[in-house]
Amino acid sequence: MTITDRSTSDRGVAEVPLAASTVHASKVYGKDATEVRALDDVTVGFETGRFTAIMGPSGSGKSTLLHCIAGLDTLTSGSAYIGETDLSTLDDNHLTVLRRDQVGFVFQAFNLVPTLTADENVTLPLALAGRKGDRDWIDEVVRTVGLEDRLDHRPSELSGGQQQRVAVARALASKPRIIFADEPTGNLDSRSGSDVLQFLRAAVDDFGQTIVMVTHDPVASSYADRIVFLGDGKVVDEMVQPTAERVLDRMKQFGD
Amino acid sequence: MLRTTLRNLAANKLRLLTTGLAVLIGVAFMSGTMILSATMAETMDDMFASAYEGTDALVRSSSVIETPEGTEIRPRIDEAVVDQLAAVDGVAVAQADVWGVAQVIGRDGDPVGQPEMGPPTVGASWPVDELNTWTLEEGRAPAAADEVVIDRKTAEDGGYAAGDRAQVLVNGAPIDVTVSGVVTFAGADSPGGASFSLFTVEAAQQHFGEVGKVDSVSLAAEEGVSQEELVERIAAIVPGGLETITGDEFIQENQDAMAEATAFFDQFMMVFAVVALLVGGFTIFNTFFITVAQRTKQHALMRAIGASRRQVLVSILLEAVVIGIIASAIGLGAGVVIAAGLKAMLTAFGVALPAGGMVFGLGTAVVAFSAGLIVTVVSAVSPARKAGKVPPIAAMRDIEVSSSGYGSKERIMVGVAVLALGAAGLLYGLFGSPSNGLAIVGGSAIVVFFGVSVLGRTVSLPMSRVIGWPLAKSRGIAGHLARQNAMRSPKRTAATAAALMIGVGLVSFITIFASSTKASFNDVIDRAFTGDVVITSPQQFGGSGGMSPELTERVAALPEVETAAGVRGGVVEVDGSVEFLLAADEATFDVFDVEPVAGSPDDLDATSIAVFEDVAQDRGLSVGDTVDAAFVATGPQELTVALIYGENQPAGDWLLGKAAYEANYVDQLDAQIFIKGADGVAQEDVLAAVEAEAAAFPGAKVLDQNEYKAEQLAFVDQMLGLVYAMLALAIIIALLGIGNTLALSIFERTRELGVLRAVGMTRRQLRSTIRWESVIIAVQGAILGLAIGIFFGWALVAALAEEGLTVFAIPVATLVWVVVLAALAGVAAAILPARRAARLDVLRAVVSE
Ligand SMILES: Nc1ncnc2c1ncn2[C@@H]1O[C@H](COP(=O)(O)OP(=O)(O)O)[C@@H](O)[C@H]1O
Ligand SMILES: [Mg+2]
Repeated sequence: MTITDRSTSDRGVAEVPLAASTVHASKVYGKDATEVRALDDVTVGFETGRFTAIMGPSGSGKSTLLHCIAGLDTLTSGSAYIGETDLSTLDDNHLTVLRRDQVGFVFQAFNLVPTLTADENVTLPLALAGRKGDRDWIDEVVRTVGLEDRLDHRPSELSGGQQQRVAVARALASKPRIIFADEPTGNLDSRSGSDVLQFLRAAVDDFGQTIVMVTHDPVASSYADRIVFLGDGKVVDEMVQPTAERVLDRMKQFGD
Repeated sequence: MLRTTLRNLAANKLRLLTTGLAVLIGVAFMSGTMILSATMAETMDDMFASAYEGTDALVRSSSVIETPEGTEIRPRIDEAVVDQLAAVDGVAVAQADVWGVAQVIGRDGDPVGQPEMGPPTVGASWPVDELNTWTLEEGRAPAAADEVVIDRKTAEDGGYAAGDRAQVLVNGAPIDVTVSGVVTFAGADSPGGASFSLFTVEAAQQHFGEVGKVDSVSLAAEEGVSQEELVERIAAIVPGGLETITGDEFIQENQDAMAEATAFFDQFMMVFAVVALLVGGFTIFNTFFITVAQRTKQHALMRAIGASRRQVLVSILLEAVVIGIIASAIGLGAGVVIAAGLKAMLTAFGVALPAGGMVFGLGTAVVAFSAGLIVTVVSAVSPARKAGKVPPIAAMRDIEVSSSGYGSKERIMVGVAVLALGAAGLLYGLFGSPSNGLAIVGGSAIVVFFGVSVLGRTVSLPMSRVIGWPLAKSRGIAGHLARQNAMRSPKRTAATAAALMIGVGLVSFITIFASSTKASFNDVIDRAFTGDVVITSPQQFGGSGGMSPELTERVAALPEVETAAGVRGGVVEVDGSVEFLLAADEATFDVFDVEPVAGSPDDLDATSIAVFEDVAQDRGLSVGDTVDAAFVATGPQELTVALIYGENQPAGDWLLGKAAYEANYVDQLDAQIFIKGADGVAQEDVLAAVEAEAAAFPGAKVLDQNEYKAEQLAFVDQMLGLVYAMLALAIIIALLGIGNTLALSIFERTRELGVLRAVGMTRRQLRSTIRWESVIIAVQGAILGLAIGIFFGWALVAALAEEGLTVFAIPVATLVWVVVLAALAGVAAAILPARRAARLDVLRAVVSE
């Protein structure tokens, strides 16, 4: 099966290649009586250069899906792909290198290494790869997120919003194939939150970055080009060009 | 409270294990030492008790000189007294005792036994039947002057059986004998591993005693006469100048002397046990310190729901008590194993110990157990107090695990004061020559270590920065992170490094002391010894024994030899103080340059003495003055100072000429012979000629200058090996401590490790980050230890300058190795924690609670 095959057969849109995707992905926690089917036969693709949001009620499997596509966790059955690479074929070492070189992360909290300065945190994946990276690009990213004068600060000297912006800059710095963000604004006040979302949006619009973001906030999801709705570990709906109101309506329907 | 504590411990078995292990090892070592001492003491006590079982009284000379080592030396007494005593009513038998040095020469031509290191090789008279505690296994008692009975160990080592012809070294020369019998003692092949050659009384007097004289008379009482009664009855006829003691007193005296002789060894081992516990204390402190910080939330919660400060504090102390009890109890058991191990190790180092079961006394159990418990609890006090201070509100806050900074000003001041106090105490103990110098030095050393650890966090940050700098430069992000991690909690890094500091400090101190000793000795030989060849002989541990002067004469007569100086030693009492002296033929003094200051070696006659310049100054002596001397054999003598010399290495403080030595000592044996070749004769030829002569004297070793130096210094390396082996223990405990700290830190850093792994740190990189952090901590401890060790070494060497430690030598290469090994040890300590960290679940870190 090739990328194009999957694109056409699964999504019915052939124009855009997929940056990441899953095919019949299932994830089961526990055994027998305590069994939890966190993902249940999920087949989904994320187009390159697009900002996709994953929404759904708490416990619907959003984070699990993200972790499995990003190579942080393994599926029970089915496949997850970054580009054309089937993650199940990689050992820990190759997975790590793939995360380092092709994937960017923004978590809800605890994104940064406390002993490193903001600048060092931004360039961490590059440093781990033993590369210097594109300094002009990094400077541009840093400027975009407004951290020029905070570069020498440690995370403990930064506000929560600033910390998340450092995390966004880090995700962008190595020009990954795809960035995964798990409720990146979950711990922020609405101002800082909208700052971060704007940067993510700008990264897609200005730099052609691919982003997949998990959120349960309708406002946050309205920054995306497309929303994938999860429920009980299944893809239950999709929405293209969402607005906060439409999302809210959609959520009421599900009775979240 | 106890239930919570126990549950807490059960939940953290690994912590329990690592914390407890440090105490366990310390306690095991301490009890092992005590068990071994007690075992040795009991074996020796039993040995003397059975050796003198039938002896009811002993008569000997009452004049005695006690050497600085605590050995009593008495002159021999007239043998006529034996018959006089035998005639007394109530005396069943009176036995003449003759003691001396004799060494059986094995079939291979080498003397049996190592009297320099281990048990002595004894020559003695065969006892009368009534007092005989030997068991004849083969053959019969000696009957003629050339018949000898030997113990079974010597027989086996030498390859002899009853009836064999053999040679025995007496008075420094071999004599031909027949082995008439082989004996055992109280079921053992030999008493305490000593080698015995037993002759008839007459033969013993002739070979290694004095004709017509005996060392003592042993008496057995008739049935119904008590020991005290016997002493009373003979008191009337015992001539003046003799004394009588009961058999029980004699046994006690021997046992006490043995205990005194081995006390040094016990202390030596105890020092290491204390060091091990001290290092263990640091590990315990550190573990509690870290876990208390990690459990801040839990303690705050306890406070919030109504626990008092005291209750929190007590809960931590209880934890320490439980760990202390468990670890100490297991440690006691392990002590038996350690004792067996120590025994095997000492045997490997050439110290022969009798076989037998271990003596595990109640005292051992109580002392070692309480030491372990106390160290554990005391080490936990400060962390426990910190736990008590946690405010309830902390339950609502995020845990701030890392504390930073250089330490408060007060702390720095206290640290500097403690350090200064320790250093001052050390210097006073070494240079102020107080009576209890050793205790002061030891105590001050602990204070110095303590002071440095108080200052630890202040120096830790800059040290980590500097040590980590090359890593950050060369090891990329892993090195950089390692350095940052080592710097993030200077307090923790410092306390962890402090444990290693102690071991490394002692190792480098001992190394410096040893290398200075060697350098000083080599320096003396290079400076003072103008000759080419030295002959050494097997000496008994106390210094008796040696070579027949015949060898010196024969060597001196060689055409290849210009001068041969036979050097002898002995004790003398000068103006009330007992001193060692050396003696040599004054005509041969040129082999050694003693640097005469006043007078002349030629004036050394039978009634004169030479003295070292500084001693002469102290005592206000100049050439022509007289000193009151007393010798064991000849009693008080007045000697004239004939020579004052400026170099006391190796001549010592007092020197006699040949005539004076011959006049005042019974044994005329050369300990070493220093030889200068004749002009124009190649050194090899001198060596070859001397070797040919010495071949007839088994045990005499012919050495050139370098071989001589090496041989004389061999014991230094042997001691060094022993000390290193002991200190390895302290270092292993310190490594456990480093491993423990790392493991606890990793647990604390779960989240950030998860982030690192998520954004692309490979397991390998993670392991190397932890490894390098460990290396930074280890090297930090090593450098601090090195600094302290160099200071201690310098202080001791300077203090002993008068005793001949004139050169302060820092063995740079060895010390660099110490640091390198410490770094490698750091790598080893990090293996398990690093593996654990690498296996960490990435998701656990990034999924928020
Ligand atoms: N490590 C785990 N062990 C067991 N069950 C888990 C684990 N992680 C997630 N789950 C379960 O899987 C389901 C999906 O979880 P998650 O992906 O975190 O949902 P979401 O991010 O949408 O809130 C939930 O029912 C959750 O309880
Ligand atoms: Mg989630």
